[in-house]
Amino acid sequence: VMLGSTIINHRQHVGLQKLSALAEITRSSLGPNKNYKFIQDDTTGESTLVCSCFRILESLELTCSVGQVVYETIETHHRVYNTGSGCLLFLAGAWSHAALECLHRGISVRHIISAMSEGMEICLNVCRQCSISIKRREVSELCPFNVSTVKDSHAHQQLTPRASERPFNLGPQKKLKLSRHFRESESPSISTIHASQLCSYEPFFPDIAHIAETLSHGCTDAMNLVVKASQMQSECNQQDIAFDVTKVVTCVLPGLVEEQATVLPGCVVLVPAEQASVAHHLKEQHLKVALIHGDLAATYRHLGYNRPKGIQSVSDRLDLSRLSKEDTWMEKVVTLLLNLEVNVILVSGVASEKVIECCWRRNILVVEKVKASILKAFAVSTGAIPVTYATQLSKHCVGTGLKVSIWRDLSNNDRKRGTAVNITTDGLNCGLVTVILTSSVHAKLQTLEDQFWACAYRLHWALKDKALLPGAGVTEMVCIQHLQNEAEHDIRNPTESNGVSSQQNKPRTPANPYRDVVLTLMADGLKDYICTVMVNTGVFSKVGARAAVIQHLQDYHGTVGDVAAKFSQLFLHTDTCYNATPTSVESSETPAIKTYDNLCVKQEVWRKALDLVFLVLQTDAEVITGVDRKTNGAQEDLMFL
Amino acid sequence: MSRVVKKSPSVCTDLPLDNTDICNKLSLLKQLLISCFGPAGRLKQIHNNIGGRVISTSTSSVLLSALSSSQPFINLIRTSVLNHVSRFNDCGLFTAILCLTLLEQAKQSGLRRNVSIIVNKHLLGLCTSYLQGQNCGCKVKLDFCSSQYFITLAFSVISSKPACVLTEPEALHISKLAVQAFLLTVPCNNTGVARLGKTLTVCVEGHPVLDSAVFPGLLVDMPDIFFLNAENLHGRSLCTVLFSASLAGDLCELGDGNIELHGDADTDSQILDQLLELGKQVVQDGVNLFVCQKVIHPVLQQYLRGQSVTVIERLGISLMESLSQLAGAQPVATLHTRIPPKAYGKVKELTIKQFGSKTMLHIHPSGESAICTMILCHRNDTMLSELKVVCQKTEHVLRLTLREPCALMGGGCTETHLAAYIRNKCIKEVIESASLLGCSQTEYLLGAEGFCRSLESVAAALDHKCGNSLTDLTHAHYWTLPADVVEDHMENSLGVCGCGLVESCPSKKWTYLNTKYPEFSPAPVSKGTHLQVRVLDSFTSKLSGLQVAVETANLALDVQYIIQDTN
Repeated sequence: VMLGSTIINHRQHVGLQKLSALAEITRSSLGPNKNYKFIQDDTTGESTLVCSCFRILESLELTCSVGQVVYETIETHHRVYNTGSGCLLFLAGAWSHAALECLHRGISVRHIISAMSEGMEICLNVCRQCSISIKRREVSELCPFNVSTVKDSHAHQQLTPRASERPFNLGPQKKLKLSRHFRESESPSISTIHASQLCSYEPFFPDIAHIAETLSHGCTDAMNLVVKASQMQSECNQQDIAFDVTKVVTCVLPGLVEEQATVLPGCVVLVPAEQASVAHHLKEQHLKVALIHGDLAATYRHLGYNRPKGIQSVSDRLDLSRLSKEDTWMEKVVTLLLNLEVNVILVSGVASEKVIECCWRRNILVVEKVKASILKAFAVSTGAIPVTYATQLSKHCVGTGLKVSIWRDLSNNDRKRGTAVNITTDGLNCGLVTVILTSSVHAKLQTLEDQFWACAYRLHWALKDKALLPGAGVTEMVCIQHLQNEAEHDIRNPTESNGVSSQQNKPRTPANPYRDVVLTLMADGLKDYICTVMVNTGVFSKVGARAAVIQHLQDYHGTVGDVAAKFSQLFLHTDTCYNATPTSVESSETPAIKTYDNLCVKQEVWRKALDLVFLVLQTDAEVITGVDRKTNGAQEDLMFL
Repeated sequence: MSRVVKKSPSVCTDLPLDNTDICNKLSLLKQLLISCFGPAGRLKQIHNNIGGRVISTSTSSVLLSALSSSQPFINLIRTSVLNHVSRFNDCGLFTAILCLTLLEQAKQSGLRRNVSIIVNKHLLGLCTSYLQGQNCGCKVKLDFCSSQYFITLAFSVISSKPACVLTEPEALHISKLAVQAFLLTVPCNNTGVARLGKTLTVCVEGHPVLDSAVFPGLLVDMPDIFFLNAENLHGRSLCTVLFSASLAGDLCELGDGNIELHGDADTDSQILDQLLELGKQVVQDGVNLFVCQKVIHPVLQQYLRGQSVTVIERLGISLMESLSQLAGAQPVATLHTRIPPKAYGKVKELTIKQFGSKTMLHIHPSGESAICTMILCHRNDTMLSELKVVCQKTEHVLRLTLREPCALMGGGCTETHLAAYIRNKCIKEVIESASLLGCSQTEYLLGAEGFCRSLESVAAALDHKCGNSLTDLTHAHYWTLPADVVEDHMENSLGVCGCGLVESCPSKKWTYLNTKYPEFSPAPVSKGTHLQVRVLDSFTSKLSGLQVAVETANLALDVQYIIQDTN
């Protein structure tokens, strides 16, 4: 095995440049108004329609090492959080741009890392301080900081120096409304976020529909489905707030218009026409169910069973009348099923055609390829015990109280998966809901499904955090303000040790002389983020967005706490100028929708974005193993060991 | 007619250290390793040329295993260092860099090879006896009554690997966990032979580092959680049986060869009957927890569950050993005999723990078991895999303190201190030593200078930002001066030394490393200092690293020919 290694030039860090370039692909998928992209494979001629950052990366098949590290991070993040991947990549790009700029100015890697880590601490603190509790009664337990802001005016002053002077009289501001253009976008919410909300004077009332609305981020239809699903679960569990994302499954049906998307209790399966007739026969009955964890076939053996090799079967007489092994098995199984009066069999694997046919004749519905999570939900709600072999079935393995109904006959579209059958339990303890997503454009289905899950998880994380963050760029604005204030503090007091570290009582560490530069560049990354979202709304031009943000930051220089409230005024102002519409006309319209973000998701996204930058920034060489000198010898940038 | 393939002749390289190609490769390797050294070290992205997984690392064990060369001479050094790493898990980069620098210094000094070798060997002896002696000025005695030094030691190891991308509170959290895990694996009962326990690591990616935790006992991944019957798990002592044999109900142990079977014979059901027989015995014997290293036949599982026995299958060999230690059970290797009563063990209780998407069954030990599980969480896989390696390294380093309860001052201070000590000692005893080694005094001093410079360059390798490396003229600790500081304000900008034990003050004098300075006997740091040591290195592995580096360098210096069979 040979090895090649490339040394990355320090001042023009190739890795950071790659990261920064990769991040550009996500520019148009930020914010509520996303653009679709076509990705075409030149070799096969296949193309995909993608909308989210994660799907773009998934279809790109990145081969460079930086690309792989990026994809790995995004993939992990998406698997856990299902939302925020675009923001992650964009900020990784923006901050790698900042790091590059630092390197250009001759700042050492150690200084960049220490200052950026501090910047991240500042931002994460802002998140903690800006978060708004969504539980009224338990504020003291959930948000200790919020309580301290109420009680302790000194602690309070750090964040909102003027909120105490004008706590609730924000009346006039509440009436401020934005133009129609802006309401369609993510940004209007800014107008209704007050300083008082920022320091959590006004915790949310736990109304799921209300919370969900603020988290829809432009995907209103998808979020409506999420709300429906949660309402259905609440009815099941008889709780006020219930949303168990693990008990939600999606079922994607092409060929129907998007308006037909809906939420059903239990699960929905697509069965061929013959099975559908069984379903017809079984509807409106209390049914008995058997759950098979594996395949339903004579030859199936459990996982880990090794078939013996080298076994020959011998016999002392010729018995032509003997049934084949499969027939014997089949007879046994069918007798057992009939004895146990099983009506429905849910199989996680596949069922042999013979079995399906045999069951069909006896009016037993066999459903194949049922997800393990669905099997589990039905095991809980019907009392059935999943078994591996049908021969294992006994009375106590069979569940009761299952119901089958025909949701829709789709047989004119697809013979094989002709009818959508809805399987539910009549008890209330199920909690499993199926969301049916439909579109007449096949290529859009993936995006619709992604959007649904993004919304579902946004709600899930909000309920888990029991807190929300002001959205639509407000939190980012506060972060920029804090970062810039810290940077200016350094410039004003250069001899003093740095602001944040001075509080941590570390007298002997030498101060980081470049902290102000790094923090300012980091803030620029966030500015770029806000501007991109503003541009994507279609209201602002690139220059306009930038100017508006900078203008605002200048106007409210030094008044950190009020940034959100003032930010709203800024938007109102620029927006009215932009459209030349008088405010009085606007105010008669219905109130604007507020936008909120998830606390933990935002914090994780920021940290992960910076992690990526740090990983790439600290890397100075690639080690490639298994390089053949003869074939790669010509490459100049490779050195061989 | 068979064709005779002509064998190509072997390639013979004379005096490999004089070969330009080999020297270039050695210097490339050195450059590569130096750039990875220490907390400010740079990372390397390792991947194969067909787009395999990318690993970002600066850890010697990962790096050196990937850095195989076409040149046997390089591999000689690499293997030697890897061997040290596999035994001690730490100080791999130190060993490799020191070894490569010694070779370079020996070449530069122009000394005859045998002289270099004997001088190096002699000086290694001096170093070893100084480090092991009572008067060693760069050693810290570890006190088992306080965890402070242990946390510092763990923190030093963990924070020396930037690919983990940890913030300071995160690194501290992991350090504390490592110490906690270490303490859990030290058995408390002092009767009979004490046996160290084991820490098992479970990685959960995508979650914050601060969610990482350590639990006594074992945590077993349970993907089929819906088979777990919650009411069986409640706090009561559970009689446990372990099977290392497969209970899948197949005929896998037949070996090769054909078997003739009567057409009516149903081997599957016969084996299943036997398995169920086994199940009955186990239930009669009052077993509540049934664990198999391999697969259990679903029918047996169903039977056991029906008898309210908790069943765990596919545990895997690594957990099996720990579980048998935890429960005090003997794994049963066959299903053909009755299970002897002494094979059964006991566990205290089972609980379910959730980590992200992972559902785990927590098996609590009934008494002291010295088995614990560390859950490591990190935001992405690349950083998590580095963190896992680093945690294993930390565990090893902490364990080595049981052998030798002391640590060396880290952050480069041991190296500079040792160099100052050797310099002083050599000058004082030059006449005796030279005659003892049979070389001239000049040769001896030249060899010693090369040795000391090598030690100092390892310390200097910690600095990657082109600052200046210094040593003070009292304690000979290691200091770095930022590149942009004017020399007049030296004592203000120096702060503390590498290990954090010496503070700069106006009366102190410094000198740049690798410049001539008047030799002196480095003083140990006075006990009265108010400063806490910040960086500690493992004593045992650093000492071994030093020995391996010098001996490998000596071996490499001794190589006359390399003969390579190219067929």
